[in-house]
Amino acid sequence: MEHIIIIDILNIALPLLYFLLVWVYGKAFFADFPWARELKSKILFGIILIHFVYLLDRTFVFNHPPATTIFEILTLLAFSVAVSYAFIERLSRAKETGYFILNIAFFFQIASSLFIKDLLEVPDVLRNPLFGLHVTSALLGYAAITISAVYGFLYLMLYHEIRASKFGVIYKKLPNLETLERMSFIAITMAFGLLSLAILFGFIWLPKAFDDFSYLDPKLVGTLLIWAMYGTGIIAKKRGGWTGRKVMLLSVFGFVFTIFSMTVVNMLFSKFHNFH
Amino acid sequence: MNLLCIGISHHTAPLELRERLWFSDDEIRAALPKLKEAGFHECVLFSTCNRTELYVFTTEADFRVDFLKKFLIEQKSARSHINEENLFSYFASGAAEHLFRVASGIDSMIVGDVQILSQVKSGFNLALATGTAGFFMNKLFQSALHIGKRSRRETHISEGAVSVSYAAVELAQRIFDDLGSKKALVIGAGDTAQLTAKHLLGKGIGKLFITNRTHERAELLAKMSGGTVIPFEHFTERLAEIDIIIASVNADKYILEKTDIERMNKGRHGSALFLIDIGVPRNIDPEAKDLDNVFLYDLDSLNGLVHENVEKREAEIPRIREIIGEELAILFQWHSALQASPTIAALTQLLEQIRKEEVEKNIHRFAPQDQELIELVTRRIVNKILHTPIVNLKNGHDESHNDRLTKISIIRKLFGLDARKERSHAG
Repeated sequence: MEHIIIIDILNIALPLLYFLLVWVYGKAFFADFPWARELKSKILFGIILIHFVYLLDRTFVFNHPPATTIFEILTLLAFSVAVSYAFIERLSRAKETGYFILNIAFFFQIASSLFIKDLLEVPDVLRNPLFGLHVTSALLGYAAITISAVYGFLYLMLYHEIRASKFGVIYKKLPNLETLERMSFIAITMAFGLLSLAILFGFIWLPKAFDDFSYLDPKLVGTLLIWAMYGTGIIAKKRGGWTGRKVMLLSVFGFVFTIFSMTVVNMLFSKFHNFH
Repeated sequence: MNLLCIGISHHTAPLELRERLWFSDDEIRAALPKLKEAGFHECVLFSTCNRTELYVFTTEADFRVDFLKKFLIEQKSARSHINEENLFSYFASGAAEHLFRVASGIDSMIVGDVQILSQVKSGFNLALATGTAGFFMNKLFQSALHIGKRSRRETHISEGAVSVSYAAVELAQRIFDDLGSKKALVIGAGDTAQLTAKHLLGKGIGKLFITNRTHERAELLAKMSGGTVIPFEHFTERLAEIDIIIASVNADKYILEKTDIERMNKGRHGSALFLIDIGVPRNIDPEAKDLDNVFLYDLDSLNGLVHENVEKREAEIPRIREIIGEELAILFQWHSALQASPTIAALTQLLEQIRKEEVEKNIHRFAPQDQELIELVTRRIVNKILHTPIVNLKNGHDESHNDRLTKISIIRKLFGLDARKERSHAG
């Protein structure tokens, strides 16, 4: 009972905390407040911890990974975006893009908190630990793709501002073009690794879990296509030295294709591999 | 506060006069002891391309302004060019405020100039080394340096490029992450090209090539900047390896056509190409701007950026004035506390308070008939303890001003008089 109260409190608190986080990152980016610059990464770390406790609590109380409904997936996605961003921020040491990325986490979390249900009864197949690993790695991978696309979008914005001689807040505050491209590439590399894991866990678990499993399921084919597309992009960049605006455009188009695969294909064509 | 500032700056005199009063470090080292011999307790002198300023601290009522003006002019044998009217003077708080304005960068020709702070600092260090900066100047200049740092930390006074050459380099930094891995080509050897080359080197450009129609001038610039000369007739052959081009030559037609840039761009796999055209008439075909991953800027677009930055810096001046006001208040509080009378009063008050507290705590241990005696005895003890320090503080006229201030400062520190004052203010 106590645990359910904690879950309910955190369910209300998390969107507010993400709002606070976005506000602090916004204050640092647009108003350049020193206290916001100082505190933002610490607040991000704190909220990631709280969110982790919330997800862990849900897993133990409801006895299944919080990935069985679309609204559980959304809170997991919000968490994945925050974790992936924190990782990239640490790797690249560029802290100016958080406002744009963490807004996504905030919107995912608010949608989740509004509609999430406390499900105690779920199919046994969804209690399997391999399912948890499959979904977690897939979602972290998709979060990294989202982040890569945001960096791609920021790159294109800055590219046009510089070429049009507009020297406003975007010009002044965003990292330089090469850094944005590097951050986008880090995110894509992370996404590729995580999707590889998701596919691996999926191929081990899915055939055992579903009687109507098919290797030709549109969702599987779509995911493999996304994986192959990003893999080719990484090789092209590493070996062929691809760089610049066109690569960033591809990153944004890759994201659009991923969203299409995740939504339209998932809802209309996939048979066994669907969210509840 | 017997502080005086005398000087010449871009506000009061044109360059041809300012340069007459410019002091080298050696000249400063020679001049300062003469002022000390003339009876000024402490003095600091510094010289930059836009100003020469002398700060003196004296205990005498007469500042001897005319003497000091004459001294500066005669030290540089500049009497035939400069007269006393070309020099400004500020007194007491006005002089401190002026120094603070200078250190903050708001008095500079280019508002927010970053160099002035280090120039003020080296002027002060020179006076310290010469033995003409003492207790008072130390506090004054430490406050000025603190204001300089606060201004740059708490405001945007030094942000954004305010010269065309620096704006070009700043733009390059918004495109490239690591200039150390980039190659730049300077076409031309004029002033702006030279300055841009200097700024690029300052930012650690990987490789700098220079080309010019007059080979000797290119060689000269290369020697000054550490670049490599490419013969003008062959520079287009090297374009494929270049990331940044600064073009500044006098030419009737474009020296780089759109087709040249297109050819350059082909083997670059989308890497950014940054082109700065500061030639009049323009040196690079403006249509090259439409090519993918090409960033082309001419004088007008760079001037626009400079103008915007200047306006932003000027908007920070009111905030800097607030900082100066805060630090002036602290300086005055410190200075007034360094007089003998307030220190004697604070010390007496402190010991009396300690006496009272201890008597109140322990008075019940004594018989009622002894209590009055205890009051009397403890008061006598305190008065006797205070007698010698008070006499010494009052009779310090035979000591140097510096020794006197040091003595008062030590007493205030030992007995925590300033901390106590702050606590009572906070309370």
